[in-house]
Amino acid sequence: MEVFGIWVAAFLTLCIYSFLYRDNPFYRFAEHLFVGISVGYLIVIGIHEGVIPLAWEPLSKAMNALWTEIIGETTPETRKALRGLFRILPIAIGLLFFARLSPSHTWLIRIPIAILIGFGAGVAIPNVLQANIFAQTRGTIEPFAAIGPFVDVPPEARLSTFDIFGAILMVIGVICTLTYFFFSVEHRGPINWLSKVGIAFLMIGFGAAFGNTVMGRLALMIHRVGFLINDWIGSFGALF
Amino acid sequence: MKRQVPLALCFLFGIAMIFTQFSPHSYSQDVYKEVINWGLIISPFALVLAVVTLIQTHATRIRLRTEHWQYSLIVFAGMIVMVLFGVPDGPQNPIVVWLYDNVQVPMDATMFSLLAFFIASAAFRAFRARAFEATLLLITAMFVMIGNVPIGDLVWNKLIFWIPGADNPESWVNSTADGASWFRQWILDIPNTAARRGIILGVSLGVISQSIRIILGIERSYLGGGD
Amino acid sequence: MLEKFMNMDRRIIFILVALVVIIPTLIPIRLPITVSEPTQKLYDFIEELPSGSTIMMAFDYGPSSLAEPEPMAKAVMQHCFSKGVKVIGMTLYPNTPTLADKLMRKIAAENNAVYGEDYVFLGYRPGALQVILGMGTDISSVFETDYQKTPITEISMMENITNYDQIDLLLDLASGSSTETWIIYANTRYGLKIAAGVTAVIIAQMYPYLQSGQLIGLMPGYLGAAQYEKLLNAHGDGTVGLNTASFAHLLIIVLVILGNVAFFIHRRREA
Repeated sequence: MEVFGIWVAAFLTLCIYSFLYRDNPFYRFAEHLFVGISVGYLIVIGIHEGVIPLAWEPLSKAMNALWTEIIGETTPETRKALRGLFRILPIAIGLLFFARLSPSHTWLIRIPIAILIGFGAGVAIPNVLQANIFAQTRGTIEPFAAIGPFVDVPPEARLSTFDIFGAILMVIGVICTLTYFFFSVEHRGPINWLSKVGIAFLMIGFGAAFGNTVMGRLALMIHRVGFLINDWIGSFGALF
Repeated sequence: MKRQVPLALCFLFGIAMIFTQFSPHSYSQDVYKEVINWGLIISPFALVLAVVTLIQTHATRIRLRTEHWQYSLIVFAGMIVMVLFGVPDGPQNPIVVWLYDNVQVPMDATMFSLLAFFIASAAFRAFRARAFEATLLLITAMFVMIGNVPIGDLVWNKLIFWIPGADNPESWVNSTADGASWFRQWILDIPNTAARRGIILGVSLGVISQSIRIILGIERSYLGGGD
Repeated sequence: MLEKFMNMDRRIIFILVALVVIIPTLIPIRLPITVSEPTQKLYDFIEELPSGSTIMMAFDYGPSSLAEPEPMAKAVMQHCFSKGVKVIGMTLYPNTPTLADKLMRKIAAENNAVYGEDYVFLGYRPGALQVILGMGTDISSVFETDYQKTPITEISMMENITNYDQIDLLLDLASGSSTETWIIYANTRYGLKIAAGVTAVIIAQMYPYLQSGQLIGLMPGYLGAAQYEKLLNAHGDGTVGLNTASFAHLLIIVLVILGNVAFFIHRRREA
């Protein structure tokens, strides 16, 4: 079964690679099979790793506890499980996503979406402010606290001349990049120069990203070629 | 009603999340936990949106017999097999695991590995030093690429060997060993960090202002069209 | 001639790319690897953890990009198990649970680690934000059971773990924006220490967080995996992959140079 699996995987891998020659029925077959299997898996995971553990199980436990309460066999566990009844409301709101199936009631899906969006926005404001504004600003200026001899830092913790150059370059880079994105004033004179320096920093950033992307894309291919050579061709011995 | 109720709920949940994060009072923390719980319970149902849209798209293709409509049958076949074995038993069902391991994973990985070929082709055809900015991007990318792989340092160390005095272990030349990876690291540490930080600061200010607009009901695009 | 070269059939380039990957795969080479500071920091952090500590590993990548995070997971888990550090696995990606479960079991079997004592895989729950925040108050409010449906109250290594306060480090193996989400919500809100092992595509955007100390370490793609393997004196998939990638990198650099030389000659002729 394992060797059969390797052969199926190898066949489908080659089907996808056939696209490099040109679009063809083998590629289209593999592409559509992939979409179908992936969505099927997503449904299975959505139900078994989402709906059942987060909604169904606590609710059914609460229902059982309620029944136990009704027949008068209360225990501390059943009392605790009863809290699961409060989940009826969010479950009902979640079920409103099914309103998508009825054109006249589609507007109802705005309710769960609005709750999730409001939740996300509320939680973002203080945390994004702290993590991405305060901590990042602090990271930009903090190295200057380790410049001696003007500041009282032990000699071993002081920045070297080259590190001071790096710290200054960082401040210049951040200010200039921000200036480039600052559209409230016209980019003329000194602002224009700062923004041009900002573009240079951005280009270095994008160049670094491109250089790394090459490594990432090649890694994906090396992995597949490794599979074809080591696993698939390696399995020939088991067959013949 | 169709717009006011969602807007009011959005405001309520947004405000609840802001205030409960600042208040350590036990009531406040109970509300905080409960709101997170609501979010957790509602989230899995959002999957319905994605699945319904996909089913509708492919069902329409089959109904209208558009070009290559037969392939939509394969989409349904794959989906039905997974659902048939996976929904009763869960993702641990051996057939689901087999299909995942031998069909989904290899195809997903191969699909993205095609990009290695396209990025090489683009490097030859489109990666041109047409202007100063493009040249800067290109040179940086080359240095990062050469610094990313061990052959970069190998070539560098061979090159500096030709500098006079390199055979002396005390020489300054030897302190520049592994220069390719050192320079890659410096590019990422300083100019790249500065540029990325500028982007993070700009984007985050945008996220915060957009979040405030959403909570206050000024930004309503997530409600979609209609009344 | 020049025009013909500039407009060469892209399938010729595809064949060249295939060759520079296939040949080193068939005839492996081993080049010296230099360890960078971000990987060294992560290694040192785990090296200094006392036996019995716990780290959480988030497998936040899909099958599309498993090539890079898998060797990283392997190297870090090997390091943890050798030091008696326990590992809790989970994922924020819906198409990953089976992959992560299988990977953890495979690495654990290679290192004689026992499920429930040395490691556990919790699985997946929808809604990244809610999952991260929910685990900060109580892990069992999000994962009442592990991926095998065993209640986490019955798993021995989870006995004294309630929330992030008992977790020494979160290592996010990421191919998307999940590391930023962990930093913003788990590090900022709950003070959880975070490190990342990311695919090469997103390395550059991690550096501001590394410099500010919000990330305590970073493994950059194949390079990071190979560097970590070097620190462990192991020869794994990261080292093999990185060595293989060397020639493909050289090919792409040559292609860029040739493309530009042809472009400049062509421009001069036209002028």
